[in-house]
Amino acid sequence: MNVTRFIKSSITVAEMEARKIRHDSAELWTRAIQPALWLLIFGETFNAIRAMPTGNFSYMQFITPGILAQSVLFISIFYGITVVWERDVGIITKLLSTPSPRSSIVLGKSLAASLRGVFQALMIFALALLLGVKIRFDLPDILGVFAVVVLFAMCFSSLSMLLASYMKTRDRMMGIGQALTMPLFFASNAIYPISIMPIWLQYVSIANPLSYVVDAIRSMLLEGTYQNLPVDILALLVFTTIFVTLASRTIKKLLE
Amino acid sequence: MSFDLGNSKMSDTAAIEAENLTKIYRDSIRAVDGISFSVKQGEIFGLLGPNGAGKTTTIKMMITLTRLTSGKLHILGVDVSEHPQEVREMLGYVPQSISVDVDLTAYENLLIFAKLSYVNKKERNERIRNALEYMDLSERANDLVKRYSGGMMRRLEIAQALVNRPKILLLDEPSIGLDPSSRKQVWKSIKQLNQEFGTTILITTHDMSEADELCDRIAIMSEGKIAILGTPMDLKRDVGGDIITANLGSPCSVVSFPKEVGQIINNNEKSIQILTTNGEEAIPLIADFFRSHGIKVESISINKANLDDVFMKYAKRRLGNNVYKNIRSTRRDFTRHSR
Ligand SMILES: Nc1ncnc2c1ncn2[C@@H]1O[C@H](COP(=O)(O)OP(=O)(O)OP(=O)(O)O)[C@@H](O)[C@H]1O
Ligand SMILES: [Mg+2]
Repeated sequence: MNVTRFIKSSITVAEMEARKIRHDSAELWTRAIQPALWLLIFGETFNAIRAMPTGNFSYMQFITPGILAQSVLFISIFYGITVVWERDVGIITKLLSTPSPRSSIVLGKSLAASLRGVFQALMIFALALLLGVKIRFDLPDILGVFAVVVLFAMCFSSLSMLLASYMKTRDRMMGIGQALTMPLFFASNAIYPISIMPIWLQYVSIANPLSYVVDAIRSMLLEGTYQNLPVDILALLVFTTIFVTLASRTIKKLLE
Repeated sequence: MSFDLGNSKMSDTAAIEAENLTKIYRDSIRAVDGISFSVKQGEIFGLLGPNGAGKTTTIKMMITLTRLTSGKLHILGVDVSEHPQEVREMLGYVPQSISVDVDLTAYENLLIFAKLSYVNKKERNERIRNALEYMDLSERANDLVKRYSGGMMRRLEIAQALVNRPKILLLDEPSIGLDPSSRKQVWKSIKQLNQEFGTTILITTHDMSEADELCDRIAIMSEGKIAILGTPMDLKRDVGGDIITANLGSPCSVVSFPKEVGQIINNNEKSIQILTTNGEEAIPLIADFFRSHGIKVESISINKANLDDVFMKYAKRRLGNNVYKNIRSTRRDFTRHSR
């Protein structure tokens, strides 16, 4: 496979998404409502009652990276729905009839999802600033967070596309998405520390990829430590590669 | 010498070569049932047939959107199953249903598509501009496509297929929903592409006049098989020739014409119907014939054989297989009633 062509095609597919966002950015703003409510209502409440053993950090500090990871997770896990919709209106047919390799189309789509993830991160950073949450705004930390967000969104959106190739309809993808996000979210360290969970749930949360993502973001934004970062990034890279490879083989099923 | 050999070998390769091509969908529908045909380079080839005949499925196998179940399919000598990407590089495709992105502008649709087709950066803008002009969309190029009318979307769809200057263009009902003048415009550009760039074109349509106007050869599919294949001329000859109706001033008792003029198929005294192979040439002969027999001809009308007749004859559907069995008599009745 021709590598430059592969990269060019992926970027073009992402560019397509960027242009759409430029024409109509309403969705971006509505997507920011949910995390905002989590921070404002859930975060402020638990911050006030100090019910969570969050160590040296306030609960608001603790939950901000968790909500960031959660909102990116939602966007990427439901990305398959967007792809199913694009199938319905013929866009996938058009993309798959070009000479571009199918893997580059799938990779491009996952880049598109991560573009939305980056906007989400920007929104939450702005919110944190507004609410006066103390997080580190050092450049390397922020860049690190964006790197994790991008990879995380790519990983789960490609998983979502893989599932969409088999599920084929929006309704089913909605169901699958909800069935996945709930356990991923609540069996993770996003909104409470692992230590307060029952033992069995602690084991679940250790196997939960979201925990690692939250961990990585939290260590950068709160502590400014990076020792886990290489492993986290490597794990995300490996899974992204696997999912993109599988999804590019299965995506044609969407058309059948 | 060896040069020529190489060249002739290249131009001998069929643009599209299907051999026992079969597609069975998962629910065991034989959408395409062992068809074999070959489209020459530079040809405009029409694929006709009733709804569900398997036209779209055939095209989808060519553009590698769906896998073929068995048989062989080569595009300019390249096997679609083995080298799908190479095959897509040589093809342009206009799907049956709208597939442009309505959330982008027309220009952006073409730009993205050109990039995904690896159109050289230097030529890209020129090609996009040409394609827009060709399809008469230049003025609205920067409007979001969702504000376009259906016909404009259709034209954009065709413009998109032109951007990568394909060797072979697959058009799945391209003129659906177009007004007569846009339709003519599309026909003109199809012919122009074919003549200027030697683009091979495979087109499906339900519009027989379109097929007649454009196609060098036509295949009529029915229930996944090719029922008949030939030039429009051949096919029309197959259902018989043109029917000429002469209305006479006085009853005619003649029972037959010289063979080269035609054959009387219906005679009710003052109105005679004559079957001829070429209506235009036969009319003066018929007029002369009656004059020489001292019979006054009041009027002569011609009912030319057209592809509709061919279609009716070969395009049977599961329901009503026998409805059009006797096509000649149907046409005769039609002629009678329309008098
Ligand atoms: N994705 C699919 N899954 C199952 N069956 C299909 C699928 N697509 C088409 N078919 C079936 O295959 C047969 C041929 O369909 P196809 O779309 O090729 O017909 P067509 O000749 O293009 O018809 P039309 O003129 O209506 O466009 C039909 O019986 C149709 O129901
Ligand atoms: Mg069709």
